[in-house]
Amino acid sequence: MDRLLGNLALICAAVSSAAASAQPEQTSRHHFTIGADIAWVDASGHRSWTDGFVGKLRYDNNSDGLVLSRAFADYEGRVTDTLDAKLALEVYDDSLGSPLDFTEAYLEWRPVPRSANRYRLKLGAFYPRISLENTDAGWTSPYTLSSSTINTWVAEELRTVGIELSVSRRPQALGGAHQFGLQVALFWQNDPTGSLLAWKGWSAHDRQSRFGDELPLPPLPQIQPGMLFASQDPYVAPFREVDDRTGFYVNGEWQFGDRMLVRAMHYDNRADPVALENGQYGWTTKFDHIAAQASLPADFAAVLQWMRGSTMMGPFVNGAHMVDAEFDSKYLMLTKTLNAHRLSLRYDNFAIMQNDQTPQDDNRENGHVWTAAYRFDWSDELSFAAEWLSIRTRHFGWAYYGLDPTGTERQLQISARLRFSR
Amino acid sequence: MQVLRGVPLLAGLFLSLAANADDVKVTVLDVNGMPVADVAVYAEAADPGMLPPPVGNAVMDQVDTRFDPHILIVQVGTEVRFPNSDVVAHHVYSFSSPNDFILPLYKGEAHPPVIFDTSGVVTLGCNIHDQMLGYILVVESNVFAKTDEHGVATLSVGSGSAASINIWSPRITRKNESLSRAISAELPGEIVFRLQEKLRPPHDSGQGALKWTDY
Repeated sequence: MDRLLGNLALICAAVSSAAASAQPEQTSRHHFTIGADIAWVDASGHRSWTDGFVGKLRYDNNSDGLVLSRAFADYEGRVTDTLDAKLALEVYDDSLGSPLDFTEAYLEWRPVPRSANRYRLKLGAFYPRISLENTDAGWTSPYTLSSSTINTWVAEELRTVGIELSVSRRPQALGGAHQFGLQVALFWQNDPTGSLLAWKGWSAHDRQSRFGDELPLPPLPQIQPGMLFASQDPYVAPFREVDDRTGFYVNGEWQFGDRMLVRAMHYDNRADPVALENGQYGWTTKFDHIAAQASLPADFAAVLQWMRGSTMMGPFVNGAHMVDAEFDSKYLMLTKTLNAHRLSLRYDNFAIMQNDQTPQDDNRENGHVWTAAYRFDWSDELSFAAEWLSIRTRHFGWAYYGLDPTGTERQLQISARLRFSR
Repeated sequence: MQVLRGVPLLAGLFLSLAANADDVKVTVLDVNGMPVADVAVYAEAADPGMLPPPVGNAVMDQVDTRFDPHILIVQVGTEVRFPNSDVVAHHVYSFSSPNDFILPLYKGEAHPPVIFDTSGVVTLGCNIHDQMLGYILVVESNVFAKTDEHGVATLSVGSGSAASINIWSPRITRKNESLSRAISAELPGEIVFRLQEKLRPPHDSGQGALKWTDY
């Protein structure tokens, strides 16, 4: 905690000196948001995956009490009038990486539209266009404290390190309410993606992996010395390049006014499943994703996402790769605002199926999550939130650790969130 | 004869009790007969050459990453200022020819106003915040207003100065609609536009329970 507060002070100092050194006429070229979330946590369940075990939450009994959930600094700068730079720095008080590291860093070329068509080009490291929840500064959610299982995985293991071209047609500007968009991305790195999902399973929390993070794996039998995947480090470094192959995704969007948005994506990291480099395997991970959100009467809204895909690693034996898992998750969230108050209720349903017959590596699981959250915005700078989350899981591999394969983990969080922008 | 001449006079008297004799009350109703707010209403000048030059300037502000007002009506030739009341910078543009323009990246009052010399609709966007949408309606008129929540706008039209009363809104699909009423020598006290087609949803960025971003 002390180390963290020190880091926080460092960020504040860096931001204020950067802002102060900018010329007055240039201040508009730099925009900073810094934030800190402090929470009181009461968690029950297995020891957390962040501590190298199987718990699906970020917290466990050992972390009960006051925690600094995060501190972050978002920077958006205008290199020229149409070239933006974005940096997102996240600070965590845990042992998964250095206290201070980046979650996103990219350049975006945004030419001024000369017609109803709008073009954007991103280059760098950024989140693929998946989450409909994490729309606030620092990739936090205005709805809940913990992300859905889908977006928790996105935060854990997905980052596009490459280039994304976005073309959108906004006949809205010509009077129509419909808007269409298409994004195509080519990316490198992100080859170990899928390791954590297959070997740990789905989770629900609010921790975002930074570029240098090493995410601990549970003590799986097959990654122990002398076993099949003994070359695997006891952790996953999800954003490494392992096989020098190019991955891609294609996303299509339709938006109707500010009433409805529909997204559909196909993602394929095209990783070589037999590649191994520095303790990290390549995992061929592909999925389809659809998402929709709609404004409803009386300040109600609904958000839903559904992801279905597969991840494969190792040589092809007996009709399947040595790890050959299919994953599926979906959630529906209802949210309602009343002045500065917001209530959200979310139901997630998740599963991992398995096609391989590899012994001592049963990754099958299924379960569901209920999340209820309340948020109150005291001011632009300060908001309070409370969240109750319950995750029910049946995970066959938990038997390896002498655990009941079925269990419920619960977590209550009461959080204060500070934000400063300039 | 005396009685007949007295009827319009009496009617005029009644009108002047309620409002100015030159006032035209314009009501806009949707296909279900419900009032439509925020519709631009303007009296097109009978002789645009006789229009006095625009008085003062107009303001299209940016507040909470929204254009404020959402729809601004100005006379041809009006200087429009674009102050930025937000903490963040904006980069306002329009590709609505011939009134297209680009205001380079700015914060606060950092540049001269924009003059719109041609009548028509100027659709505004912000190149930093793709969700921002606003309109400037440039008209050959110095008599204009927007409908209130009752769908009503009142125009003070000088007798003989206006050729027509017109309405405009980005929500009107404009296929079968009659959006203009010619004015004869006799100024009507009240005009009702009853729209024939369903309206587009209003632009309500930043309102409602959803958060919209470009993620």
